Amino acid sequence: MKKLGNLWRTVGVTSVAASTMLMMANASGAAPKSHALAPIKIGISLSLSGDFSADGIAFDQGYKLWAADVNAHGGLLGHQVQLDVVSDASSPTQVVTNYQKLITNDHVALTFGPFSSLLSLPAAKIAARYGYAMIEGAGGAPSVFQAGLNNLFDVSLPVKDSLVPFAKWIAALPKGKRPANAAYVTTNDAFTEPQIPVAQSIMKAAGIKTAYYSVFPSETTDYTPIADAVAAAKAQVVVLGSVDVPTVSSFMQAFEQAHYNPKVFIATGGPDQGTTFAKAVGIKNANGVMVPNGWYGGATTPGAQAMVAEYVKKYGGTAATISADVAEAYSVGQITAQAVKATGGFNNAKIIKYLHSGVVLSSVQGPVKFDKLGENNEGTAFTFQWQGSNFVQVNPVSSKASKPVLFPKPVWGK
Amino acid sequence: MNSSALIHALVDGVLTGSVYALMATGLTLVFGVMDIINLAQGILVILGAYLSYTLSVHFGVDLFVGLLITIPTLFVVGIVIERLFVARLKGPERTAMSILVTYAISLVIEGILNEVYSINQVQLQAWYVNRSFPIFGIYLPYIYLLGFILAAALLGSLYYMLYRTRFGASIRASLSDQTAAALVGIDTKRVATICFGIGVAVTAAGGMIYGATNAFNASSSYDLISRLLTIIVLGGMGSLGGALVAGILMVMLQDIVAVVWSPIWSSMSFFVVLVIVLSLRPQGLFGKQSARVA
Amino acid sequence: MKLRQSAWWALGLVIFALFPVVVTNPFYTTIGIFTVIYMGCATSWNMFSGYSGYVSLGTAIFYGCGAYTMALVSIHGHIPGGAEQFWVVPLGGLVAMAIAVPLGAVALRVRRHTFVVITIAFFFVFQLAAINANFTGGPAGLSLELIPWQGDAYNTPFYYVALAILVFSVVLSALVRRSRFGLQLLAIRDDEDRALGLGVKVKAVKLTGYTMSAFVVGMAGALYAMFLGQIYPQFVFDPVFDVTIALMAFLGGFGTLLGPLVGGLILESSQQWLTANYSNGSLYLILFGALFLIVVLFMPQGIVVKVKEVWSKRTSTGSDATQAPLATLGSESL
Repeated sequence: MKKLGNLWRTVGVTSVAASTMLMMANASGAAPKSHALAPIKIGISLSLSGDFSADGIAFDQGYKLWAADVNAHGGLLGHQVQLDVVSDASSPTQVVTNYQKLITNDHVALTFGPFSSLLSLPAAKIAARYGYAMIEGAGGAPSVFQAGLNNLFDVSLPVKDSLVPFAKWIAALPKGKRPANAAYVTTNDAFTEPQIPVAQSIMKAAGIKTAYYSVFPSETTDYTPIADAVAAAKAQVVVLGSVDVPTVSSFMQAFEQAHYNPKVFIATGGPDQGTTFAKAVGIKNANGVMVPNGWYGGATTPGAQAMVAEYVKKYGGTAATISADVAEAYSVGQITAQAVKATGGFNNAKIIKYLHSGVVLSSVQGPVKFDKLGENNEGTAFTFQWQGSNFVQVNPVSSKASKPVLFPKPVWGK
Repeated sequence: MNSSALIHALVDGVLTGSVYALMATGLTLVFGVMDIINLAQGILVILGAYLSYTLSVHFGVDLFVGLLITIPTLFVVGIVIERLFVARLKGPERTAMSILVTYAISLVIEGILNEVYSINQVQLQAWYVNRSFPIFGIYLPYIYLLGFILAAALLGSLYYMLYRTRFGASIRASLSDQTAAALVGIDTKRVATICFGIGVAVTAAGGMIYGATNAFNASSSYDLISRLLTIIVLGGMGSLGGALVAGILMVMLQDIVAVVWSPIWSSMSFFVVLVIVLSLRPQGLFGKQSARVA
Repeated sequence: MKLRQSAWWALGLVIFALFPVVVTNPFYTTIGIFTVIYMGCATSWNMFSGYSGYVSLGTAIFYGCGAYTMALVSIHGHIPGGAEQFWVVPLGGLVAMAIAVPLGAVALRVRRHTFVVITIAFFFVFQLAAINANFTGGPAGLSLELIPWQGDAYNTPFYYVALAILVFSVVLSALVRRSRFGLQLLAIRDDEDRALGLGVKVKAVKLTGYTMSAFVVGMAGALYAMFLGQIYPQFVFDPVFDVTIALMAFLGGFGTLLGPLVGGLILESSQQWLTANYSNGSLYLILFGALFLIVVLFMPQGIVVKVKEVWSKRTSTGSDATQAPLATLGSESL
């Protein structure tokens, strides 16, 4: 115990030293102009352990990729970018401590968002307290925007619109081919739950009956009874509101065991996880599975392929294996860089004002334009599908890059 | 509601419930004999699942054959934990301290498992995990049936050992009264150590079935231990038969509520039943009405 | 002796009161707030569980209820974000107490060991209800109005309110300890059947103690909700909270007055600091678990008693009262 006792003393001593430094430093966090070449620090708290750590690690990769990219091209206004990443163990309490540490102790000039809506909101509130912009890529749940924060910007698509192109595609199928009914089942998560009713109302308007609708708790581990109930409803379309691979693979396994083959199967999260998903369910079972997303490894948006190439060089794998999280994080960096350039500095107040000005910016996820609440209204949703061992874009149908949908979905394992 | 889903829920209740009953039996046995609440039981189940995973993925050993290795391994792990840590606990706060000690042990094991296997969830694979056969108008995966047979066989041999062998008699003596057992010359220390070993060894089998029917990682242990604890409280702490009945009851109730009503309330339904039962019968369904204060 | 002890307590209070004056960095004052909150909760937990021997692992129920009281009252009562919300803090404590009465009435009917598990079961009922009900905002939680205090000034009022709760908790715990009521709780811990035989109304005493200990935890939860401005069901009804509080008391000294304070101070401050600075979660788990094992096995009575033991061996000839059975008596003067 002595060690920990000493630790507390050390904390005390360092904090006195740190506070002295704080008094000498510029409290607003803006970088002094005179040190033109001093590195610029960007503070990020990420879930490197705990419930969200898989995504947290992908975000870490995305941020680092962006920083390396910027630094290779001379930095931000000549300053090299230094990422100051701390871990929050997926806890909102720790997020609050961490952003205070980043802003007041480490004196970062800018802050980037943590992973998930759950942590983005408390993080943005801390940033607001110090007048910092909170630019994030994974906090698109309606509850985040409802808080009405002025300093929060989500560069990704608002999640509630994710399933829209998919639902529109189903609704537009010719009458003979259009499925008669659909089952909707979702985990009660701030990210997935808002998406489902939006899709349901579009499909209902096209005459697709709801055969089953159920919400299951996010802490579920044994999905078998729920999946069996979905299978028993024998709907032709299954819309699954999921956040991770294990949920989707459990449902798919239960469907396969029940010899239930829906014509269309879409899951809001999981199938986008590249090899992690393919390995978990088996590449043959993946065939025909769909997922809505803002981005994929084959995206043709400006800069996307350059990022993919760098990713593969740095972390290995292939274009198809890159998580959309990486692009979301990378986009945060890109939007920030454009704001810094346009405002000519690291003044957060100016950056916030600029991002609210209605200017259209570009990212690897496509164009970005913020509304009053910090939602990106320019974002387009895509739907992707596993076809053989490829992960391809299939919606929106109007997009040139979209391939035809594999419909109906092949039988499991074929 | 669809009747086939209901049948499925009932069948799943009996089959999966027996696996939970097996894991809970280990827990309740340890409590009954030693007054020790082993909070590490959850993570030990996961350890068992990971051992099966390693054997099947890296050495190509079949999941069931692998049990010949994992069950003895976990028996030894149990003995070591008992000798090193649990046996040192003495005094009036022994039970409370055991909760803390075993919780600390589970944290250490959780950390090690995270380091070794990463936090990405995995699931055990074998041909009988994905294939199913038709029965009562539903498709039943082979793994559920095999898991049930395994659990029933292990529980059967455990009961045989307890009720038909000399050593079993000394365990039962310790279960009903430790002081008296010591007085009639039973080496209660040795009984305790072996009981702990047996209690932990069953997690190898439970873990293998759990890992084949659920995707898991080290933090799945929290959900497991909370279920196991509620099972043994509902059944009556220290009651082997109670653990069996409560285990099956829990899974069946949750499945039926999930199908008939809503999955949202399924885990809560069990806790509510638990609270109701306990307010009527504080000692649980099959618990002994012994001294109120242990 | 008595005077010297009071002087030590006063010195401790002064150090805590001066902390945000000396250390102005919000990173450290934030850790300070959480630490003081946890110290108060651990003291309050110990006032029932430590004195009576009934270990509760459902403390987070009261924390969560306090937090939801703060959020719901602020939102539906249209209380503007700011100092006015502090008035809701005691209300959070009262709501927690009101909930503790029926819970205690059921849970305290059972034996001590079953009580532990029942409190866990109750905890899950509350957590699941909060995740799934509508008025709690479900898994998206509840967001409070932003408090317009800028930057470094934000933390100070929270710190002092948390400290006030802590002082209240310690004073209450000390008063209980010296009262007849406290002796009855201790008698229950030593031998409940005997206490009953001696005429102690064990049921009423246990329920009163359980309910009283809910008050401080409820207030702490309310303060937490206000401080964060955002609550989620799985983080205010957090099983880790349940265990952490119990750990703090055991680490410092179960059933002693000073123990939970020392345990809370060490655990919470180091935990926050370590997580922020060392991101390896699993390594942290291993170290934390191992350290914890060592403490429980080698200092089963907690740090405070151990230190006192060593201290008295050094200073006295070894014949004074601290040599009496430590589990029940050694802590009397602490």
